[in-house]
Amino acid sequence: MVAVDMPPQTRRRAARSPQTMAWLLSAPALALMLLILLVPMLSALVLSFTDYSLGATELNWVGLDNYEKLFTRSSYEKMLWATLTYVLVVVPMSVGLGLGAALLINSLGRGREIYKTIYFLPVMATLLAMAIVWELMLHPTIGMVNRTLEMGCGTWIESLWPWLADGCANGMPIWLGDKDYALWVVCFIGIWQGFGFNMVLYLAGLTGIPRDLYNAAEMDGARSAWERFRLVTWPALGPTTVFVVTITCIRAFQVFDTVEALFPRGGGPSKSAYMMMFAIYEKGIKQNLIGVGAAITMLFLLFVMIITVIQRRLTERKVHYS
Amino acid sequence: MTRFNELLKHAVLLFGALIVIVPFYQMVSYSLKSPAEIERGIGGFAGSQALMTDEQCVGRNTPDRSDVETARTRFPGQDDSHVLGQLLEEVRAECQVRPAVFNYTSAFSEAPLLCYLLNGVIVTLSIFVIQVVVALPAAYALSKLRFWGREAVFGMVLFCLLIPVHAIALPIYVGLAKLGLINTYAALVVPWTISVFGIFLMRQFFMTVPDDLVDAARMDGMGELAIVWRVMLPTAVPALMAFAIFSVVAHWNDYFWPRMVVTGDRSLFTPPLGLREFKADIDGSLYGPMMATATVIVTPLIAAFLLAQRKFIEGITLSGMK
Amino acid sequence: MAEVKITDLRKSFGDTQILKGIELKVADGEFVSLVGPSGCGKSTLLRIIAGLEQESAGSISIGTEPVSGIRAADRNLSMVFQSYALYPHLTVAENIAVPLRMRQMTRWQRLPLAGGLMPGAKRREQEIAAAVAQAAETLEIGALLDRKPGELSGGQRQRVALGRALVRAPAAFLLDEPLSNLDAKLRVHTRTEIAELHRELGATFIYVTHDQVEAMTMSDRIAVMMGGEILQCAPPQKVYADPDDLRVAEFIGSPKINVLPAEADAMGRLSVLGRDLPIAVRPGRQTLQIGLRPETLHLARGDAKIVGRVVHLEHLGSELFAQVAVEGLQGRLVLRAAPAQAAALQIGSEAGLDFDPASALVFDAAGMRVREILTAPAKSLAQAV
Repeated sequence: MVAVDMPPQTRRRAARSPQTMAWLLSAPALALMLLILLVPMLSALVLSFTDYSLGATELNWVGLDNYEKLFTRSSYEKMLWATLTYVLVVVPMSVGLGLGAALLINSLGRGREIYKTIYFLPVMATLLAMAIVWELMLHPTIGMVNRTLEMGCGTWIESLWPWLADGCANGMPIWLGDKDYALWVVCFIGIWQGFGFNMVLYLAGLTGIPRDLYNAAEMDGARSAWERFRLVTWPALGPTTVFVVTITCIRAFQVFDTVEALFPRGGGPSKSAYMMMFAIYEKGIKQNLIGVGAAITMLFLLFVMIITVIQRRLTERKVHYS
Repeated sequence: MTRFNELLKHAVLLFGALIVIVPFYQMVSYSLKSPAEIERGIGGFAGSQALMTDEQCVGRNTPDRSDVETARTRFPGQDDSHVLGQLLEEVRAECQVRPAVFNYTSAFSEAPLLCYLLNGVIVTLSIFVIQVVVALPAAYALSKLRFWGREAVFGMVLFCLLIPVHAIALPIYVGLAKLGLINTYAALVVPWTISVFGIFLMRQFFMTVPDDLVDAARMDGMGELAIVWRVMLPTAVPALMAFAIFSVVAHWNDYFWPRMVVTGDRSLFTPPLGLREFKADIDGSLYGPMMATATVIVTPLIAAFLLAQRKFIEGITLSGMK
Repeated sequence: MAEVKITDLRKSFGDTQILKGIELKVADGEFVSLVGPSGCGKSTLLRIIAGLEQESAGSISIGTEPVSGIRAADRNLSMVFQSYALYPHLTVAENIAVPLRMRQMTRWQRLPLAGGLMPGAKRREQEIAAAVAQAAETLEIGALLDRKPGELSGGQRQRVALGRALVRAPAAFLLDEPLSNLDAKLRVHTRTEIAELHRELGATFIYVTHDQVEAMTMSDRIAVMMGGEILQCAPPQKVYADPDDLRVAEFIGSPKINVLPAEADAMGRLSVLGRDLPIAVRPGRQTLQIGLRPETLHLARGDAKIVGRVVHLEHLGSELFAQVAVEGLQGRLVLRAAPAQAAALQIGSEAGLDFDPASALVFDAAGMRVREILTAPAKSLAQAV
């Protein structure tokens, strides 16, 4: 319209300064970061000192009551215990298996791709669906696991494996219904689902190791595979390991899908698999105890922050070789 | 010796592969079998596919009075109960189906699975598109523009990278509830619209794009916004592809968040929620259809993964690059 | 320290032959360079000597012992890699100590923490520390011992790599293009140092490089490799002045040797660009090539053998190279002149070139050196007939 005839001076004024432009470009992201990440984090902190519940007309300060509950009530003690057990089992196992698989696959002449594909499948699959499949497989009577185990009854395997003999005589375990097994089954599914991811990261790390280093190690007299691993592979995978452990830790703390699907009543037999995320969901949403839920959230955030800070420390200390 | 070693490695890896793949085998197998076969653990992988009676079909078509009246001419001289019996026989004959067909048709008819799938597509795609629309300009500003406060903004990005959205789900839920957004598409999408990781990733990518390209575009008279969409976006396609896979896989498979914000309203269910609901509803005889549902939900991503493995592995392990 | 003897060594990957029957004997304490363009098989040869790759046929002995089938770690050789291949997580001192720790300490003594408690571990550690300190002193990197490779410059890393190689006394040192990642100035400096180090140690050195200047300046003998073969192995001055093969003559020397087509008539008398030369080969008509080093060409005082036009000048201060285009020749001739002659060489001006026929290197059509040269003046030869 008028733009064509606008004098140059007006046009120049119309062009926004680079400063304003830059802020405008980052404004949506900034606003969303603030509203979706920072404000909720702060409100969780605030809410954790209250007895807030949705729909309630008033809100009372309860100080540290919610936190006190976390550390005194037995159900929360079970929650911390279950979560920590889960993390301490799943992280080393899935990192170790991921590394082991990566080393084995990397040393293969042929067939690398097929193993890589298979091991990665669980990472892609909807965890909830797979948890339900596992539940079916662990079904005490019609499940594949117990059926397979029963096939071993009455054979020589029974004499070698007392656990199996016991199962044959007194009935196979009921897995998810048994508090001695439930948590371990959840751990197993976590490992099953996660180690392929770690494997892929380790494989990427392995391809980044210069071949010359292995040659140098050989020239320097490192004769066994273990010596080469200690001298070259393991140190070179250091940064990968720090990252893999961190991300596996954070994911392990967030376990929810499996426990929610396997134990709809909440937490499994005698709350032996009562995980933090599930507790937040149960307290905060199902029971509308937002204050307690917020306190668990804060505890959860604390764990995650500690892990990440440790990771960043380790990463920064690492001097990279260019 | 080396041959033996190689064989040993394959043996170990094959054993691992077996454990990894068994649930997938079981899932597909159950989705093809009849309830009787599942119950008794027979029929190999695909079952015998012998015709079975669809009891629900029978239930729907049970002859009533008027049917008996109209059918009376066909069975002259018989009393009502006989006619009814004959009609029932006919209905049962018509309701014979192959187990595989039965399982998959019930997966879609027992629950609005198609609607769930559609919801899944809508939610994942909207999340990805909004993430890109928000992240790309911010990443451009952070990497190519000099402005006062840039360091602070980037510092905020780095800090927010520490916060897992799952962890602060409860306060976000409270916020959405206050806004009356629970049980809406918005609730499913909004918390994920900001991907701090996406900003970080795109910024790192843009840092590698030469400044000359941006300057050349400015010389050609493009505004900053035009540069973002017409210059930077096309150069970022490979990184965006990887990010797309990362984002889509995460949100298609996500169960936790939909569980939090969608309660009861089936028309909003995402696929994992739908499967969970199915599981809660079943009376024990519908393992086949449930596994068919699981197969339908898991298949799209697995199929895409098998077709473009390299891209997928790249995308999923993207978070390993920071 | 020991001699290294290679007999009829062959290597092929699938159908491609990388090495085609290498014969080489490196004497005890000798510095031999393997030089050649990239892809000539020189690095493969070195890696086979090291034991990092398997030969397809032939044999290698180190000292008196054949080493076929013996793994690299057991051949008692040291190697410096092009990429230096330092362990990034270890300090300089630890890097240099690795070969000693691996060879002189038991697996138990090497264990972190607990290893120190094993019998004899302490004494070993002290011996190793002393050896490392000495190597560091030789290479003047004592101040860097506590740093990690990532904190070092290219030249410093290179020294550490050298230190790791010379901390023990191996049968021979193998060096794979150790200077190629350094900048030009440092390269010149370091090559002197390596040559001096060799003299000091009196050890056997096998040095791979693609840079003929490095090979010329450092070695006792140069083995020029092309296409998987050693074309000539001789002391540097001989390779330069008396090459066996045109390819050797062309590879060694900078600027490159001038090559002119030549004809021999039935009597074997040579002519270049239509001018008769006072030299002859065995009788029989044939096409030949003669090679003239830039320094053998000079400006003609009177009658010029070759006439051309100056097209480009390169002043290097101490000397002057003139590129001369000659009609009937594809490439340009390069002439080395004293700076004082600059006045006579103007771009675009005509230049008459002359050379001493005795300094011409004669090659046959296939590039093999023709050594039977009769230097009788052409005229008298003609008169004699």
